[in-house]
Amino acid sequence: MASHGVSRAAATTVRSEEARQKELQQIDTYKDLVNQVNAKIVERQYTIEVLSLITKLLNENPEYYTIWNHRRRVLITLLALDPVDRGDRASPEELIENDLQLTFSLLRKFPKCYWIWNHRDWILQKGESTLEADTTRRLWSGELQLVNKMLHADSRNFHAWSYRRFVVAQLDRIQSGSIADAEAPKSMIELEFEYTTKMIKINLSNFSAWHNRSRLIPRLLDERKADHNARRQLFDNELELICTAINTDPFDQSIWYYHQYLMSTLAPDCPEQSKIVPNLTTEDRTKYYAHEMEYIQEILEDEADCKWIYESLLHVAQCFLVIDAGTDLFTTSDMRNWLENLQRLDPLRKGRWEEVGASLGK
Amino acid sequence: MALVSGPGRGGMSDMPVEMRLFVDKHVRYIQSLDTRKDELEYWLTEHLRLNGLYWGLTALHLLGHPDALPRDEVLEFVLSCLHDNGGFGAAPGHDAHMLYTVSGVQILATLDAFDELDRRVPGGRQKIGQFIAGLQDPETGTFAGDEWGERDTRFLYGALNALSLMKLLHLVNVDKAVEHIQSCANFDGGYGTSPGAESHSGQIFTCVSALTIAGRLDLVDHDKLGAWLSERQLKNGGLNGRPEKKEDVCYSWWVMSSLANLKRLHWIDGRKLTEFILQCQDPELGGLADRPGDMVDVFHTVFGIAGLSLLKYPGLAEVDPTYCMPREVTRRCLGK
Repeated sequence: MASHGVSRAAATTVRSEEARQKELQQIDTYKDLVNQVNAKIVERQYTIEVLSLITKLLNENPEYYTIWNHRRRVLITLLALDPVDRGDRASPEELIENDLQLTFSLLRKFPKCYWIWNHRDWILQKGESTLEADTTRRLWSGELQLVNKMLHADSRNFHAWSYRRFVVAQLDRIQSGSIADAEAPKSMIELEFEYTTKMIKINLSNFSAWHNRSRLIPRLLDERKADHNARRQLFDNELELICTAINTDPFDQSIWYYHQYLMSTLAPDCPEQSKIVPNLTTEDRTKYYAHEMEYIQEILEDEADCKWIYESLLHVAQCFLVIDAGTDLFTTSDMRNWLENLQRLDPLRKGRWEEVGASLGK
Repeated sequence: MALVSGPGRGGMSDMPVEMRLFVDKHVRYIQSLDTRKDELEYWLTEHLRLNGLYWGLTALHLLGHPDALPRDEVLEFVLSCLHDNGGFGAAPGHDAHMLYTVSGVQILATLDAFDELDRRVPGGRQKIGQFIAGLQDPETGTFAGDEWGERDTRFLYGALNALSLMKLLHLVNVDKAVEHIQSCANFDGGYGTSPGAESHSGQIFTCVSALTIAGRLDLVDHDKLGAWLSERQLKNGGLNGRPEKKEDVCYSWWVMSSLANLKRLHWIDGRKLTEFILQCQDPELGGLADRPGDMVDVFHTVFGIAGLSLLKYPGLAEVDPTYCMPREVTRRCLGK
């Protein structure tokens, strides 16, 4: 009912009588299958045969959430079967693998379907309470491969990014629950941070990767037990990375948002847990802001028509004024000049620029 | 930001062609939706039926044709989706879930049918309220969609929306819910599906609306979020949902409703957005699509029309940005 990107011309061609008959037949077959499944569930026939019927139906319509619920009702029964009663029917491990395969093939076709992602999460949690710890760990580790594939197909899929964070949290939990190991593998946070670097290098415009990076940094620093200098080093590296990106494509929004993020961590009112370098002095901040303004103004020389540059200059200037209202690095007339350029280059947001202008006073 | 002023206002026939809204075609399109039983798509989308009815009914009210669907039949259908536990399913035989419960309550509110509900299902309102309240996670304050436990800020918003319409907000811990929303906030002023998730206009709509219902808009950095939302407008006038993504008519609603609640609607170009939305109409068979030339559906139809209402397109009824319902209805339910 919510169609995206389907051309109207392709969809509204008049059906021939033959095509209509064929569609009516398809409807009958589909409704038959739905009725069969629902009838068996009402009768509580939670069997492997009904599970196959459900698989067939979900392959035809993975958005039918009630059928996913039915699937879970059947699975709960099958997973709880006593090995003696089970005989040669599917083992819990086979059942779980089977659902991982089903959801994987469906996600490839319907990467934005909430119900499929949700079922995958459920089956893994179920697996954890049913299977051996080693098997569980292997299953969760396999999930990162899945997310890699999903993000390779669409690097902005927010379901996949959310699932990625969720899987990492599970792996972290399992890791910390196991006995400390002298040869513990590299921490998940480090690996995830590297992953965002890789994704950004493939496509600078991937804000989802920049966002995830911003959420990983505070945890990474804590985990590294980074001291003041190490924190500063990381901040400087990030600034360098983003400044190179700005220089590569100053017209890309994603990059400017990450720059804005870095600047926001400098502000005195930034929440403690989000700060990259705590205990900055006013002098430190002044240096950072001044350096940024200088760098951005250099880019301006080649890109006088890039609105993001003016927006960023105004933003950094406003941050600057919070810590040093008397700075002589720029004047109100500089700010007015940047604003005039914004008004010239960005008429869509005219109303916003007028208000910014009013806030600059006379 | 009225698009047309002075004499002749409301007479859409004097509008230039590119500014015309095909009201009658849209009404007929929505009326036709339940007659398509010979199309496989009709059956494959049964899991959206109650949402679809809410979308269609709301669009009709905004278009000034509130009686275009037979009230008795609509009411009958809604009640046929109600389970004993107080939750609504998408259609008869479908399991109860927050997403449909909210649509059920919204339709009942729009039809002014809460009293009828209580007459036909004794204690009906209270039961629905209990179903919703039972889905709140007492520890984090967020809400699950159903007994299977998926959590998302969409469900939190849905809960506050439906409960406030029924005057049952006291059944849940609103402060705790607000705390959860705060934990989903990002540096850019926006919100994601859960703590740590990227800002997304759809989720911003749910969080800003939920905060509006909770009376806690003071927690939002109006300028920062307003700026981010205003940057969703692209050169063609349409709005996208996140940085560096394509425009889509449904974001006319998710983005604009939040801008409206933040009193920053004038931070985007309303005229260009109006033109973009109107280009997404099917001028022959009615309905709106995600983008010009694409296939229409009732989801994009209501969010396009609701967007036009926020833009004060002449002749449309006023929409409530927090609820995506006629303002007249929310005023009646909320008493404000």
